[in-house]
Amino acid sequence: MSAVEQNHPAGPPVSKEGYLVEMRDMRVSFGGVHAVNGVSINLRPGEVVGLVGGNGAGKSTLMKVLSGAQLPDSGEILIGGQVASIHNPRDARAYGVECIYQTLALADNLHAPANVFLGRELIQRSGVLDDPGMEDATRKLMKRLNPRFRNFKGPVQSLSGGQRQSVAIARAIHFNATILIMDEPTAALGPAETAQVRDLIRQLKGEGLGIFLISHDIHDVYDLSDRVSVMYHGQIVGTVNRADVTTDQLLAMIILGKKPEELTAEELEALHASG
Amino acid sequence: MTETVTPSPSMGDRLRQLPEAGRSLTRAADVDTRLLGLLAALAIIWIGFNVTTDGSFLTARNLWNLSVQSASIAIMATGMVLVIVSRNIDLSVGAMLGFIGYTMAMAQTEWLPDVLGLGLGHPAIWILSVVLGIVLGLVIGALQGFVIAYGFIPSFIVTLGGLLVWRGLIFQYAQGQTIAPLDPTFRLLGGGPQGSLGEIGSWIVGIVAVVIVLIGLVLLRRRQARYGFQVRPIWATVAIGVIATTVILGAVAVANAYPWPEALANNYAEANGIPIPPGGYIIPTGIAYPVLIMIAVGIVMTHLAERRRFGRNVYAIGGNPQAAELSGINTKRSITLVFAVMGLLAGVSAVVQTARLNAAVTGLGVTNELDVISAAVIGGTSFAGGIGTIPGAILGAVVMQSLRSGMVLLDVDSPTQDIIVGVVLVAAVGFDAWLRRKGT
Amino acid sequence: MVIRRMAAILGSLALVLAACGGGGAASEDAEASSGGGASDCKVAVSWNNYQEERWALRDEPAIQAALEEAGAEYDSADAGSSEEQQASDVENLLADGADVLIILAQNTETILPSVEAAIDQGVPVIAYDRLIESPDTLYISFDNVRVGEMQAEAVLEVVDSGNFVIIKGNGADANSDFLRQGYTNVGVPDVGENSDTITIVGETYTDNWDPALAQTQMEQFLTDNNNEVDAVLSENDGMAGGVVAALEAQGLAGEVPVSGQDGDIAALNRVALGTQTVDVWKDARELGRAAGEAAVALCESADLASVPDTEEFESPGGNTLTSILLEPIPITQDNLDVVLDADWITEEDLCQGVEAGTLEVCP
Repeated sequence: MSAVEQNHPAGPPVSKEGYLVEMRDMRVSFGGVHAVNGVSINLRPGEVVGLVGGNGAGKSTLMKVLSGAQLPDSGEILIGGQVASIHNPRDARAYGVECIYQTLALADNLHAPANVFLGRELIQRSGVLDDPGMEDATRKLMKRLNPRFRNFKGPVQSLSGGQRQSVAIARAIHFNATILIMDEPTAALGPAETAQVRDLIRQLKGEGLGIFLISHDIHDVYDLSDRVSVMYHGQIVGTVNRADVTTDQLLAMIILGKKPEELTAEELEALHASG
Repeated sequence: MTETVTPSPSMGDRLRQLPEAGRSLTRAADVDTRLLGLLAALAIIWIGFNVTTDGSFLTARNLWNLSVQSASIAIMATGMVLVIVSRNIDLSVGAMLGFIGYTMAMAQTEWLPDVLGLGLGHPAIWILSVVLGIVLGLVIGALQGFVIAYGFIPSFIVTLGGLLVWRGLIFQYAQGQTIAPLDPTFRLLGGGPQGSLGEIGSWIVGIVAVVIVLIGLVLLRRRQARYGFQVRPIWATVAIGVIATTVILGAVAVANAYPWPEALANNYAEANGIPIPPGGYIIPTGIAYPVLIMIAVGIVMTHLAERRRFGRNVYAIGGNPQAAELSGINTKRSITLVFAVMGLLAGVSAVVQTARLNAAVTGLGVTNELDVISAAVIGGTSFAGGIGTIPGAILGAVVMQSLRSGMVLLDVDSPTQDIIVGVVLVAAVGFDAWLRRKGT
Repeated sequence: MVIRRMAAILGSLALVLAACGGGGAASEDAEASSGGGASDCKVAVSWNNYQEERWALRDEPAIQAALEEAGAEYDSADAGSSEEQQASDVENLLADGADVLIILAQNTETILPSVEAAIDQGVPVIAYDRLIESPDTLYISFDNVRVGEMQAEAVLEVVDSGNFVIIKGNGADANSDFLRQGYTNVGVPDVGENSDTITIVGETYTDNWDPALAQTQMEQFLTDNNNEVDAVLSENDGMAGGVVAALEAQGLAGEVPVSGQDGDIAALNRVALGTQTVDVWKDARELGRAAGEAAVALCESADLASVPDTEEFESPGGNTLTSILLEPIPITQDNLDVVLDADWITEEDLCQGVEAGTLEVCP
């Protein structure tokens, strides 16, 4: 019964305009600092939207709002065209929002199946944990995600970064997620593992999930995204179709906080020289 | 483990591989090596004391004593494991125990007999007292947990405050007066020959335990096989079954090998008109009630920790509190529950200790928190959080009590005992940390 | 009186400033600040730890009663088991105009500077229940060595030979050794020795006088000696409770004599039941009254020798102190009426579980 195998035969609910998620005029401030200042963003099924910006641009905060880890000061979230009220991670999950964090949010002392089912353990009728059932489901998931994954018994502490990331991804997709937030999914990985995660993102996209991809790696974002939203000082500089821009133009948006059409040739030149 | 073909190794190679072979043996059998290490340490302590005391340590009587003396601390240590696993600490367990013990003593000597008018010795008194004690433990434990989880006050502070509060309340109760004697039925829960299962009862408990273990082993195999997982090799299952059966029945045999003290047995025989045979009337004592309570608590707590969502969540919180929170675990409720369970167990231990002493004294449970924490830590519970087992903590309590009992037999004074137990505590944790570093 | 009060205030001020020197010049001010209606005599008590049972329940009311009778005033402070706190308590009490100080010392050494300060100001000091090593104090206590002698005498009367177990109190508490000294005085072999008739098969200190620990230790001594224990000398009632519980589990309670002290309700009940042989009773009310009366006498004249019924006491520190040493009373089944007549315990508590008619006091 995992999302990978049985992929929403009717498709996830979308708004009239075809959006899976719409966040409208979101605002979050921390003690007078506007971390997110009037941001609107949206996502369609089967689409990867890259979210880029410098440190402190507000991208992680924005996504924390969607995943329920951060309460906004104001703004509206619509999921499948309906207003969603998200107060905590549990609420977000009920709307099909799953998150893969930059910091690899795994309980290091537990084994892979326990991590996949963390907070949503399978329970037998007697109320006892169904550990074999969880292990079985994890094995099936991993056969798909990372066929070389073997260690289902030991604590995930002893796994490599890539293996741990596949545990985190397995956790996200097992519960029929329709909206996936990936916060720096390749930051802790080596080149081979990064390639593996990239393949996985394409695969999930092909299965109809909507994905927000936060990354520092401009090439990652450029290769994987359909659209890219650039944030600068808590605001959206612009959202562009990947096909319409170059990586240089994206970089300029990130660093200078200006849309491509506002850029001067000198600025581009200077950027190129320094980069 | 590996299937690579290697050229036949030299003798030296083989010797070097011995520890590796041992490790893979335990891995193949799927047993906890840390627990095995603790058992080995216990065996060394026991044999060591037996030699130095000229054989008076490993007698049925001393082992029976040891089991009863360990019970109270072991019961609380099972709860302390979950507290420490969740990255918390409870310094108030000794004070809670004293407070609850005092309350139960007041209940059975004054409130229930006089105020409710049941009269001394009424059969309902012990039941009501026990229920009162356990519920009280649950409530004050939950209260402390609530303040910790929802008030964002570190558990060290809250339970340090609790220690002072509960100790202070003991004084408020009776101006430090000793309350004794207690209800005769209640006293049986503290052990002693009358407070034990007897021969037949002990064998029944032992056989039921063996049957449950064997069925469990078979069911586990079947379940694993159904999913097509790698199953323990059959020899390992059989070996574990044989060892478990031997240990359980052996323990019952030891408990039964300790006869009632002559004076008590003769009184009993006289009272029941049984002619006393030459050589004395022998009544096997069997498993003492506090030990039975400890075993039951151990089983329930192991089940909670390893087979229930509650336990899984607590371990997840200890492993990575942020991840637990983000994955939707209600961490505040879990922490509150952990402290509620700890309080409940302090209530159970209060029953055992007051019943055993047949009195509530102001000093009841003083410094027990240190013994309980030590037992959990010697049993492999890590202050870093997320790591620790219930059986380990029970074994830790037995190790500590073995040291103390053995040293009394050797006429070592209690201040000197403290010094030695202190050194052992630090050494045990140091050794454990060293093993962990080597292991990873 | 007023001058003395002022001297006290200045004296404590001097103490704070670590300066010496007379302050008699300011006596007019003292007159003004003290106001009218000051009582003739103000007695202040510095408790070391009021949280223990007996001080609040027995000693304090007795002291107060004695003072009230003489029309003297009462004041007190509790140090909560802290030496530092007690030092500042004494300063405050002096500053508050105490004419006589009664001190229950937390620490018999560290209290000395405070005691000297008081005496320098002309305030006499009574060392209450615990010795203070100063020849200028009046020591009022029960004789602890005598308590040990009485415990051992009562036990030896039942069993005068065989295997003895000795359960001592806290090793850091000098009283543990005073009591042990008493045992030796009446024929129990000294620590580490045996006599022709008595073998000590187990002897141990007990942290915090903990009854549960005493029980475990007794169990181990019984195990080690295969129950061949003929008598147990326990230094107090709490530990005697643990010892009796251990004996009970072996069916030996009542067979083996056990000693104790303090007059605990539960222990007196055990004496009535026959499971404890002797409970050496120190009536704290007697102690309190003696101290109260002595304090009143010292108000009249600060000369310690003027207090009636004193004797000389050679302290372990080599000082000769003026002292009032009260004689404790060993309570056995034969004289339980003493504690009843003194209203120390009710008949109901004393006789709980005692078969009717077996004892005269429990009809």
